[in-house]
Amino acid sequence: MRKIKIDKYHLYELFSPLLGVVAAIIVLLLIGIAVGESPGSILKAIHRFTMSTSGRLATVFSVAIPLFLSGLAVSIAFQAGVFNIGVEGQYFIGGLVGALAGIYLPLPRVIHIPVVVICAMLGGALWAAIPAALKIGKGVHEVITTIMFNNIALALVNYLVNGPLSGRGEESLEAQTFHIRDTAVFGKLNHWFRALGWNIPNHVFMDYSLIIAIIMGILVWILLFRLRYGFEIRAVGTSIDVSEYAGIRVKRIQLAAFLLSGALAGLIGLQEIFAIRGFYTYEIAPGLGFDGIAIALIGRNSPLGVVFASILFAFLRQAGYGLQLYTSVPLAITFVISGVMILFIVVINEVVTRYIRAQRKKEAA
Amino acid sequence: MTLLRMEEITKVFPGVRANDGISFDLRAGEIHALVGENGAGKTTLMKILYGLYKPDSGNIYLKDRPIAIKNPRDAINQGIGMVHQHFMLVPVFSVLENIILGRETHTAGVLQLQKPTEEIRSIMQANGLMVDLNARVEDIPVGLQQRVEILKILYRGAEILVFDEPTAVLTPQEVDELFKTFRMMRDQGKGIIFISHKLDEVLDIADRITVIRRGRVIRTLERSEATKPLIAELMVGKPVLLKVDKEPPSPKQVILEVKNLTVLSVHDQPVLDNISLTVRAGEIYGIAGVEGNGQTELIQAIAYKTKPESGTVLLEGQSILNWDVRTRRERGIGHIPEDRHRYGLLLPFSLADNIVLGRHHLGPFVKGPQWIDSTKVRSYARETIAAYDVRTPSEMTPAHALSGGNQQKAIIAREMNFEPKVLVAAQPTRGVDIGATEFVYKQLILARDRGKAVLLISADLDEILSLSDRIGVIFKGAIIHEFKQEEATKEKVGLYMTGERESA
Repeated sequence: MRKIKIDKYHLYELFSPLLGVVAAIIVLLLIGIAVGESPGSILKAIHRFTMSTSGRLATVFSVAIPLFLSGLAVSIAFQAGVFNIGVEGQYFIGGLVGALAGIYLPLPRVIHIPVVVICAMLGGALWAAIPAALKIGKGVHEVITTIMFNNIALALVNYLVNGPLSGRGEESLEAQTFHIRDTAVFGKLNHWFRALGWNIPNHVFMDYSLIIAIIMGILVWILLFRLRYGFEIRAVGTSIDVSEYAGIRVKRIQLAAFLLSGALAGLIGLQEIFAIRGFYTYEIAPGLGFDGIAIALIGRNSPLGVVFASILFAFLRQAGYGLQLYTSVPLAITFVISGVMILFIVVINEVVTRYIRAQRKKEAA
Repeated sequence: MTLLRMEEITKVFPGVRANDGISFDLRAGEIHALVGENGAGKTTLMKILYGLYKPDSGNIYLKDRPIAIKNPRDAINQGIGMVHQHFMLVPVFSVLENIILGRETHTAGVLQLQKPTEEIRSIMQANGLMVDLNARVEDIPVGLQQRVEILKILYRGAEILVFDEPTAVLTPQEVDELFKTFRMMRDQGKGIIFISHKLDEVLDIADRITVIRRGRVIRTLERSEATKPLIAELMVGKPVLLKVDKEPPSPKQVILEVKNLTVLSVHDQPVLDNISLTVRAGEIYGIAGVEGNGQTELIQAIAYKTKPESGTVLLEGQSILNWDVRTRRERGIGHIPEDRHRYGLLLPFSLADNIVLGRHHLGPFVKGPQWIDSTKVRSYARETIAAYDVRTPSEMTPAHALSGGNQQKAIIAREMNFEPKVLVAAQPTRGVDIGATEFVYKQLILARDRGKAVLLISADLDEILSLSDRIGVIFKGAIIHEFKQEEATKEKVGLYMTGERESA
């Protein structure tokens, strides 16, 4: 029998974000007191909107799904040292391509859903391909190009759903496409959870996108930590000099990671399009791509870390709505708190990382 | 007069007494060398002096007055300055700006340059540290950058100057210049602490020599009583053979051939100028030369894909010009990089990952096309670590946790253990202690005896002379003369290195 050894440093790393959360909650309570709310009422409001009922709690997880995919997309690029700030645009385009496949392709259900998923990934990868090619081929910095491509994507999508792809004549006044075919609509998994004893009410979207997220999370983890390409992705992200010296084909790896990031980004909008709305509009949850950057940062670019970070983000978002509804703390303040919390977590992460590094050095000395 | 006294300094890190009751003193007008193997405790002691570490016990006296040094700023204010191995300069700033940085004089917020310039000029004059004050630091060679570092601390009024392996990055001429400066500063009554691995230099310049081993002072020697074998013995605790034992070579077929290779710099100047050389299986070919005569470019042309202006590089008769690094490695080109700090290790990765790096994509480390066999990686790493005596708590320890010497050993172990056909060893013992140097020498000779072609590039002429079976002198991008080992002497090779004698 091999003894299972838990490295205490891994525990430190795991718990350091919690310290950030605690610190941020203290700040929140202080602000609450300043606007005349008692700490009790604030905590009660948060509790009420995030975990007082199984539906509320399930909503947190439901909201976390696209956040997780976004964090995953950003993190895979970060791992290779690529700053894909364009996840936002990539999921708008990926979502659109997926939606078109869902609207116009007459396919049986068993293959329709896989087809829309693949189309969404291809769409996202396609939108990442041009900045990727410019970076790899011409050395144009991806931060600049992806930001520009975000703007182009939004404008393009706006034009398309108002013009050529508009599904006018349907009931909504919003600019939108025709409805997704029934064969491509994402069903709900709520009854599975019910069978497991977790009664998730029907209005909560615990849909197929959860399965997609879990599969992608596992695949990315395997890629990064079990496969040769993942090793090379992490190596390139750590040091391009060392990677080149070791014969790793740096450009190829960065290109692959960039495209993969775009492909994962294409999946972010699927829950909104295929489960919640049933059609595509340019108003699908904007900002998710940028949340992904913070989530990847807090999750330290590891799939497991991104799981926790995305749930934390979803919790924060729901807590913010709770505060707005049940207390006099303005919604804007809850955004401030989110920012403060991210800041605390990042700082504490850094402190803990340095501490661990120093300790390890001493142990080896 | 005793300028500085460190008394009974003890510093314990978990599991190791880095400094174990060290006492050390420095007189005014003295160059005091601090020698010891990697990990002996020299750097720790100096970090304590410079306020980077707090000692667990012990006292520091400056001119017999006890002082507390909490941080480098304290140290500087007390007149203690340090020239680190890795320079702390702003590359895009001018020399002047770098020197005054942190000590700027200003009138109502407007930077005053006139007075500092005059002051610095007189410091330059007094210490033989001439530098163009208006040059940008990134444009000047390493030797001059080091002068800027020295000027920086002199400008801050340092009385005590600590040099951590200052000669590691210098050419022999630059070393001479540096030592001139050392002597001038000594004559002004300053105290100099000189950390070095190179015993010749220590014997050349030091007034006293303190040997540290395993965190303790073994002995402080006066220059008159110090000899190379004595210091070496005190350092490692047993007599070390600095003489290299090796059998006569039995060279076989040509493995590596560089043929009329010309490579241009970004400024279209030839950095390799129609250079030709061959290395056979079973021989060590040493490149002697003053640094900056094309050694780096030669290494690049063999280990990396480079676009030459003309000429070619052949491995067993096959042109390698179109091979990328991976192909080169797969076909048997091993490479111990010159700048191991920058190219050698993925620091956050485990030692095991680093030991297979470069072959990580091949069997037996990968099962099928992609799956990494971590059991195989770890067992291979454990064997390598044991065979090459890399000191580490385990193979899963991240590389950044290892001491500098052990990091270097890990790189050398990796490249040797891949069993390449050609081993390009660039400065393989730079910054390595005597024990490890001996080890590297043995390994290089072992590689040769096992039929590998070894190309050795080193700034240490003794190393080249004692290891190489043939020696090529590189000057301005070409091999201007080749020696057999038996006909090479330091004087003869030296003449060609400086370009005083040219032939081909």
